[in-house]
Amino acid sequence: MTYFTKTYDEAFINENSVRTNYKKLISWYKNQDNNELTKINSDAMKFFENTGVSFKVYSSDKKENLIPFDIIPRIINSKEWDKLVKGITQRVLAINFFLTDIYGQQEIIKHGVIPVDLIQNNPAFLKQMIGFTPPNKTYNHISGIDLIKTNSDNFYVLEDNVRVPSGASYMIENRDTMIKLFPELISRYKVSENRNYPKYLSEILKKSSPKKTKINPNIVLLTPGIYNSAFFEHAFLADKLGVELVEGKDLRVINKYLNMKTIDGWKRIDVIYRRIDDIFLDPLSFKEDSFLGVPGLMEVYRNKNVTIANAPGTGISDDKSIYSYIPDIIKFYLGQKPILKNVKTFKCRIKDELKYVLDNLNKLVVKEVHGSGGYGMLVGPLASKTEISKFKNKIKKNPYSYIAQPTLSLSTCPIYTKKGLTPRHVDLRCFALLAQEKVSVIGGGLTRVALKKGSLIVNSSQGGGTKDTWILSS
Amino acid sequence: MLGSTADSLFWMFRYIERVENTLCMIESGFQLYLLSSSNLNNEWDAILRTNSIRHHFLKKNNSLDSLNIINFMLKDPKNFNNILILFEKARENARRSRVSITSEVWEAINTCWLYLNEELNKKINESKIQTIIKNTREKIALIFGFLERSMLKNEILNFCYLGTFIERFDNTVRILNTRYYLLLDEKKIRFEGYDNFQLEMILRSISSYRSFMWKNQNEIKANKVSYFLISDKDMPKSLMFCVNETIKNLRSIHKKNFPKNKSYQNALSIQKKIKQKNRNFNNYSFLNSLFKLNMTLAANIEEEFNFQ
Repeated sequence: MTYFTKTYDEAFINENSVRTNYKKLISWYKNQDNNELTKINSDAMKFFENTGVSFKVYSSDKKENLIPFDIIPRIINSKEWDKLVKGITQRVLAINFFLTDIYGQQEIIKHGVIPVDLIQNNPAFLKQMIGFTPPNKTYNHISGIDLIKTNSDNFYVLEDNVRVPSGASYMIENRDTMIKLFPELISRYKVSENRNYPKYLSEILKKSSPKKTKINPNIVLLTPGIYNSAFFEHAFLADKLGVELVEGKDLRVINKYLNMKTIDGWKRIDVIYRRIDDIFLDPLSFKEDSFLGVPGLMEVYRNKNVTIANAPGTGISDDKSIYSYIPDIIKFYLGQKPILKNVKTFKCRIKDELKYVLDNLNKLVVKEVHGSGGYGMLVGPLASKTEISKFKNKIKKNPYSYIAQPTLSLSTCPIYTKKGLTPRHVDLRCFALLAQEKVSVIGGGLTRVALKKGSLIVNSSQGGGTKDTWILSS
Repeated sequence: MLGSTADSLFWMFRYIERVENTLCMIESGFQLYLLSSSNLNNEWDAILRTNSIRHHFLKKNNSLDSLNIINFMLKDPKNFNNILILFEKARENARRSRVSITSEVWEAINTCWLYLNEELNKKINESKIQTIIKNTREKIALIFGFLERSMLKNEILNFCYLGTFIERFDNTVRILNTRYYLLLDEKKIRFEGYDNFQLEMILRSISSYRSFMWKNQNEIKANKVSYFLISDKDMPKSLMFCVNETIKNLRSIHKKNFPKNKSYQNALSIQKKIKQKNRNFNNYSFLNSLFKLNMTLAANIEEEFNFQ
């Protein structure tokens, strides 16, 4: 077996030496028949295809795509995980305090920690939310925190996704698949359960109900519909939560309450787990021509007759320009030192930093502040001269829209190929749930892997795949 | 249950049933083609008219060529009721109501869709037609099998069956409507050249030839075929069977309120109409009124249960 990587590899120290977490896995692997594994690997994809586990890349055709699944699990030990849980909990709490403040007294601006223009000129900041506290004072019920590892000691936070983070269904499907394919391997380890995610999600949604009694609130999951890229996940979660999967056309505001159209007439709704963006929620408050939301929903919300999870306006806190201030936000609200580090971020809005970015584009990763899904970004070291010069012009035209980060040597994990194990770059999305100031971080997360050799882009829309992630119990 | 979910369940099964019915017709036509039957043109003509696609087909084609017709019915994008489009719609509705159906039913639908897409997007040669029809019908049987075995016996299932039986009624009545002249009483004027062979083809086009012959001691007569297709309460494709199943499912959804509902009342009136006619079916307007009543019934259901 030849296994070579220039960056930190989570499984191998070198070709002949395996890290502790992976010892049992690699010894198991060495006893497997390669042809059999190849067959299992293709069976796994067939399984996903038949069950309809798919996502859609935005394009004109109706084609659904499968996210490639890699059969080699990623393994994280309990010590590393405990630190991650503490760090994620701290961030999620701080973000909720930040949102409460930024739509309230704005103390953080008054204290000069965050420049006012960063909020004022930000499209993710919703003026409709000013002076309003959501039911149970919770904004970010569901967070998806993206992390990367660069060496044996440190995970860095790459992004805090608190708008409509997706991926939890793949996390669960991946585990189901691994248990079906390799029961004898998973039983060699003590792996934390992650398929309890819907149970925790259900609990926090119930707790977030605006009704004084939290018994059996009527919860729905709001989807943009079957053509949305994440529709599979919407249906999957609604099913596991045991709630109705609704579209805007099923809903109507009647007598100050939100209702859904059932076969027996209108029925009141207490909690919406929404999977559509802020601007589509209510055509009377936001985008006028949107059919995805419900006219008058924001008024019902402001009367505290319904809970929207996550709260509208939450996006201001996961904006890429706010990201660089998260360590300051943690210090400001919690008086604590951040447990998880941020990746060094250059803000093009600041003159000196812009100059540095423009001079060093070939070394940096540049991202659009409001971009997501790996769209609208430049990976300097892999870009051609023409691409760099085109991007330079884009940044110059609108420096406020860009941030830049050094190219990090993302860790690698082994993936399975017909020729044997080979290293590929990975990241990790962890899911955290918040209710009544208590955070639950689900044991494990979704490991995304860049399947192309050398590639650092793990997004499923850009050819990335996923792996099961095993958190070892202590 | 959401009105829109009931809508998706209802239409999912209307489309699946329509696919099954269309396949039966293609198969009966294809059998005649293989036998180089002299009745081939008449049969295709009737099949195209039953499906209301004769006009569309003849816009593009000058003659009733069997393979062109089969291709048209299976996958030609100019035919808005081709098998691929119909099943695509069935699956879209299944995705919309994914939360209401079991994973067994969903997977059976999804694998059938994957199969049809793979097979029908290739060039279809003669030797494959029967295999495709047989495999698809088996896959559809699997959907109904899982529907029966894995779903809770509640209103979700009722809406699936309502779609199935409203569509099946529609199909049988269309077949009868297209060929009502074959079923005229023997004493009355028969068109020249028509014989029992056409009656046999009616039965074959709904895959019920063997069961008819078994029940009628191998004797084909127009009035017996009419009775079998219209009034026989044991025959799963007869109008009586379909309307009885519709009534059963409506009662189950409406629970105590059923006597008041329009859809229930209309279903009862269809049942009554069929009973009254008993063995005397020999007119076009009778069949046409059943066809219209069934359409009204479908519209009643959509309205009463807040479909969108």
